[in-house]
Amino acid sequence: MRTKTPAQERRDKIVYGVLAVGIFVGFWYAVTKLTDFGQIFPDPITIIANIGDKFINPIGKATLTGHILVSLRRVMLAFTVAAASGIVIGVTMGWYPVVEAVFKPVIEFLRPIPPIAWIPISILWYGFTEMSKYFLIFLASFFVVAISVYSGVKSVDPMLIRAAKMLGAKDNQLFTSIIIPSTVPYIFSGLQVALGNSWASIVAAEMVQSNEGVGWIIITGQQSSNMIQIVTGIVCIAVVGMLLVMIMRGLENKLCAWNKQGR
Amino acid sequence: MRMEQTGKIKNDFIVCSNVTEEFPITGGGSFKVAEDLEFTVRENEFLVLFGPGQCGKTSILNMIAGFDLPKKGTIVVDGRKVEAPGPERGMVFQTTCLFPWLTVMGNVEYGPKVRGVKKGERRKRAQHYIDLVGLQGFEKSFPVKLSGGMKQRVGIARAYCNEPVVMMMDEPFGHLDAQTRYLMQEDLTKIWQKEKRTIIFVTNNIEEALYLADRILVLTNCPTKVKAEYQIELPRPRDYTDPKFLKLRKEISEIVDHTL
Repeated sequence: MRTKTPAQERRDKIVYGVLAVGIFVGFWYAVTKLTDFGQIFPDPITIIANIGDKFINPIGKATLTGHILVSLRRVMLAFTVAAASGIVIGVTMGWYPVVEAVFKPVIEFLRPIPPIAWIPISILWYGFTEMSKYFLIFLASFFVVAISVYSGVKSVDPMLIRAAKMLGAKDNQLFTSIIIPSTVPYIFSGLQVALGNSWASIVAAEMVQSNEGVGWIIITGQQSSNMIQIVTGIVCIAVVGMLLVMIMRGLENKLCAWNKQGR
Repeated sequence: MRMEQTGKIKNDFIVCSNVTEEFPITGGGSFKVAEDLEFTVRENEFLVLFGPGQCGKTSILNMIAGFDLPKKGTIVVDGRKVEAPGPERGMVFQTTCLFPWLTVMGNVEYGPKVRGVKKGERRKRAQHYIDLVGLQGFEKSFPVKLSGGMKQRVGIARAYCNEPVVMMMDEPFGHLDAQTRYLMQEDLTKIWQKEKRTIIFVTNNIEEALYLADRILVLTNCPTKVKAEYQIELPRPRDYTDPKFLKLRKEISEIVDHTL
């Protein structure tokens, strides 16, 4: 079999990706035009046109850009705090047995609770404030990051620790020069999942209580039976969510080049 | 760089006396790896520990390195009893154990770096050893991009760069293909001749042992003991097909335990 250069492989990936999206949109268009599904669901051209229009004309009090930025700002703020504290707790939990004994059961207990289950509490505690959204996003990302980082510290190759000791590393040097770098890939996989979770839960939070944001677009669409607006909101969520994950992956590829195979 | 020893060569540079080591077995009892093991290593000697697989050779290295402490007996290196791992005792691992997030340069200079050697000096020193093992041009490569033989060269440079008094090599060429293995043996001999160190090299390959060693200790199965000792006087570089080489090879092969 002929092997392909990385450039060719990348080009192939893009071609297949575009082709797949094209086929999906074409199928969507055909179904809405050729069957009764078109009665209850808008076709892709209407949606794309509407998205273009809403970048200029506002929905409610803001344009689409405004709504997306509001949601993004909420996610970024709370996610950053959650990621930072998750990394700190995860690392200390993996390194100090006492911290592990105290925090691990608590985190394992709270982790399976879906962020949506916290919405009533967030409203009762913080009302319809920004804080109630930060609270939810924090919960949606903190546990994922903490557990992922923790398991990263736990799975450091003991032979590498041995090699470092043999070369003269002291305990604190082991921590900074061996434990932290070998945990970096785990940190990134945690951050990636957590960012996805955060984005998904901000939408949920905005659907319950807000007057702007991407989630709000969908829920007001439902209230006014505006299917086009609902689908517009859904497409925005998908595209922004995808972009966030792509940015995260790009960052990972840059910082973890050593972890990637190939020349 | 450490200068060639001009003073007297110490004969009892490393002394293992009455070393007994055992590991607990799951389900109770214990497995004796070594019992009353005794041997000494001369300074700057290339000593090969040769024995059947699983005979406890790695355990002996781990004890000299200080990763494990013997149940009984003592190991003294250069006048100091071994109680913990230390940079004066370097190790080249069978599985290389390179730090994958560091470049070749980063790996080689790791030892001097954690011991506080200034950047300019440790870079110079690391470059010297990278050149010595023949990896110039690969300073910025990550281990994942290197072949097995090149990785092991980095392992050797990393151990050398810390300027240990003894280097232990735990079947470093065990995972390499035959051709690379011959080449590595040849190059290791050259490296060691250029910069003499005390080396304790573990292998289960008789040809490799004969090619490299000043002296070979043939070990028995567990609990391991020294079964025989061979001073190898053949001139270097050695020839695998030299009749004297072949005669020794046959002789040693015949006394090794082949049973488990």
